Amino acid sequence: MGSGVILGIAGGLFCLLVVVLVGWALAAYNRLVRQRNQVQASWAQIDVQLKRRHDLIPNLVETVKGYAAHERGTLEAVVAARTGAIEAAGTPAVADRAAAENVLTQALGRLFALAEAYPDLKANQNFAALQGELANTEDKIAYARQFYNSAVQTFNTSVQSIPTNIIAGIGGFRAMDFFAAPDGERAPVQVRF
Amino acid sequence: MDRRLLLDLAVGAAAIAGWFLLYGMVRLATRPASPAPAPATPELGAEPPAVVSLLVNRWSVTEDAAESTLLDLAARGFIELRQPGNDPMQTTLHLPPAPPDDGGLRPYERRVLDRVRGLAVHAVVPLTALTFRDQAQARAWNKRLRAQVVADARRAGLSRRRFGPAVTTLLVAAAMVAGVGVGLAVLHYGIWHQEEDNVGFAAGIVTSAALSALAGASPGERDTALGRQVASRWLGVRAWLRGHEQFDELPPAAVAVWDRYLGYGAAVGATRLSSAVLDLGLGDRTRVWSSFGGTWHRVRVRYPRFLPRYGRTLPGLLLRAVISIAVGAFLLKVVGGAVDLAPSTTDQVERVLAVAVDGIAALALLLLISGGYTLVRGLADLAAERTITGEVLWLEVWRSTARRDNQPSQPILHHLAVDDGTGDRTTAWVLPSQWATDCRDGDTVTVRVRPWTRRVISLSVVGQGRSRRLTESPVVDDTDDLPASGRGGTTEPAGPAARPVGLFTPEEVGQALGLPVRAAEGLELPGPLSGAQFRSAADGQPVLMIQAVDGAPGRWIWRLNARGQELPGIGDGAFVSASGEQAVLRVGDSTVAVTLVGAARGRAAHLPWLLAQAAARVSAGHDGASA
Repeated sequence: MGSGVILGIAGGLFCLLVVVLVGWALAAYNRLVRQRNQVQASWAQIDVQLKRRHDLIPNLVETVKGYAAHERGTLEAVVAARTGAIEAAGTPAVADRAAAENVLTQALGRLFALAEAYPDLKANQNFAALQGELANTEDKIAYARQFYNSAVQTFNTSVQSIPTNIIAGIGGFRAMDFFAAPDGERAPVQVRF
Repeated sequence: MDRRLLLDLAVGAAAIAGWFLLYGMVRLATRPASPAPAPATPELGAEPPAVVSLLVNRWSVTEDAAESTLLDLAARGFIELRQPGNDPMQTTLHLPPAPPDDGGLRPYERRVLDRVRGLAVHAVVPLTALTFRDQAQARAWNKRLRAQVVADARRAGLSRRRFGPAVTTLLVAAAMVAGVGVGLAVLHYGIWHQEEDNVGFAAGIVTSAALSALAGASPGERDTALGRQVASRWLGVRAWLRGHEQFDELPPAAVAVWDRYLGYGAAVGATRLSSAVLDLGLGDRTRVWSSFGGTWHRVRVRYPRFLPRYGRTLPGLLLRAVISIAVGAFLLKVVGGAVDLAPSTTDQVERVLAVAVDGIAALALLLLISGGYTLVRGLADLAAERTITGEVLWLEVWRSTARRDNQPSQPILHHLAVDDGTGDRTTAWVLPSQWATDCRDGDTVTVRVRPWTRRVISLSVVGQGRSRRLTESPVVDDTDDLPASGRGGTTEPAGPAARPVGLFTPEEVGQALGLPVRAAEGLELPGPLSGAQFRSAADGQPVLMIQAVDGAPGRWIWRLNARGQELPGIGDGAFVSASGEQAVLRVGDSTVAVTLVGAARGRAAHLPWLLAQAAARVSAGHDGASA
């Protein structure tokens, strides 16, 4: 076998290797893009629900004021937490936003606990409807958070795993923050079984 | 070829081809739509997962319907799924002590829940124990579930019959035309060939009937405008769920975290692992769950195929042993004197002959030893007979008679796997098929066995298993015949009100006929008919046959059979035929025919009493159905 043939075979194998590597790199890059888009789409779902919650709070505060105006401290805490959450919505840091939203969740919890002491307030239809809507929104936030965190976990695993991390480094993909649950939800889980 | 014959053939072929062309065009025009998916969204709709499964699978119900319903029931708190380790196959189902009100469950949801409840022991059942141990039962259960899902989707306006009444009428009319074409062609051929028995008319009728039957057979479901809209939204949910790669790997127990999303994920085909673990089809006969002794455990069952002694009767075994000894002794006698283990000859032919003689002698010795061993072990097996009590794990036909011209194949031996609680491995016993109808899987039986040959020599059922309560009658449910119940309203009965298998107890039949009978066994009957028969306990011959049919066919059969002596006061009408061998009963839309056969002919004195028992049970079935 001549040296030309050997060189040809080696060259062919090298080209094949390059093609395979480029193909893999493209597939890995596209996968990372897809996963990042999924994270962003999941975040958008959370965002929608959080904004919905922000919109419901002024009405809720006004309704409670009508029955328990002297519970100023609690009401102001809710208003302040809402303002903080809206301000945090402008920041790109997920951790900051999660912290602000968790403060709002806790403030709302105190507000609903307060309502227990006011039977007239509890009987108010508007309050009951707002409470129901907020509970529904909280549920949706919980599921959206689950989806978001699931998408982030998948994305982060890809970004940090060898050899995809090389493509991630070249493509500027960085690990993302999880949307942490409020402290109350992180208490020891009561296992049903 | 004769040009006239060619013309006749062309006319007949054109008539049939024309019909099939029309049929193909109709199928093409009515094929289910493929709606474009809406944008990916996590927003779930109001449709139950089983209906969602129908919609996203182009209006066909897949196994995802039952699996997603099970997960959805878990999400709604009717059952709990627990996975003790890392293996999802070890997941167990638990019935909660205070389940939610199940009054609003849809028929197919109740069907799945009833299966779980029916199989549970101490409110627990392994997830993989939900599979069936009988192919016919698995098929009937899943067929009914599919019919119920389709009925629900139709009620919600999401689905419709692929061939509506107008299309069916058109196809039937076209079948008539094709029949006329074929009939004329055959008639023409007969006239030219001056045949005495011209079968043109019959050919036309047969063609029309065959093509009409094809037109009437349900080709499935198709979309509606609302169905397309809803399917599009659910395809958006599917896109959302498939976008989350983790979702694909969630085990069934993850329903505790993902709630109803997991059930809907299974419905739209976004949960690979959960769908792989869940199975409501036919189970694995080599690894069967048993609850004998009160706790669930899995038993490995072996089904020997090539063991010569397996399943043999003692006479057969002894005969084989004697033949083996006789042949061995004969061969040894013939070649014994010529055996030379170290031939001194140098002639190649003689050496080959010597080796052959040695081989024959060795074979003879082997036959002698084998025959002797079989003889001794066979006799020892007779002495080692023992009685075991355990749960029937699996029962299936092993050997059947050969199919002959007009006789179908008949089973002669069954495999009977029994768990007696002594270990997690067992080898199936061999049961003569005449006893196979006495027991069902899940029953507790006492069997007298010969351990070496694994042959069952007597069997008695000492306790009926839970699976008997879950028995499906072999009647095929047509979705159109399912009673219309509102969404989340009352549930439908699992089958027709008249179930032949449970219509009489063996004691009642024995009392009425004056001869002991075995438990009822189901009969495969064509079309909407369902049937059962009782066999004499003495000789195993059928003595009583029961046929039942509901709905419009039931009314027709009643009209045809309501003759002979009237029996007032039984059901909505009852008659005994002039021969006294058949009686017919009507309750509502159900018609039941009871026929005395074989040795029971002439024992008709208590037939009216038997009919009264049937009337009471069918009425109770109707009341239950309408309750």
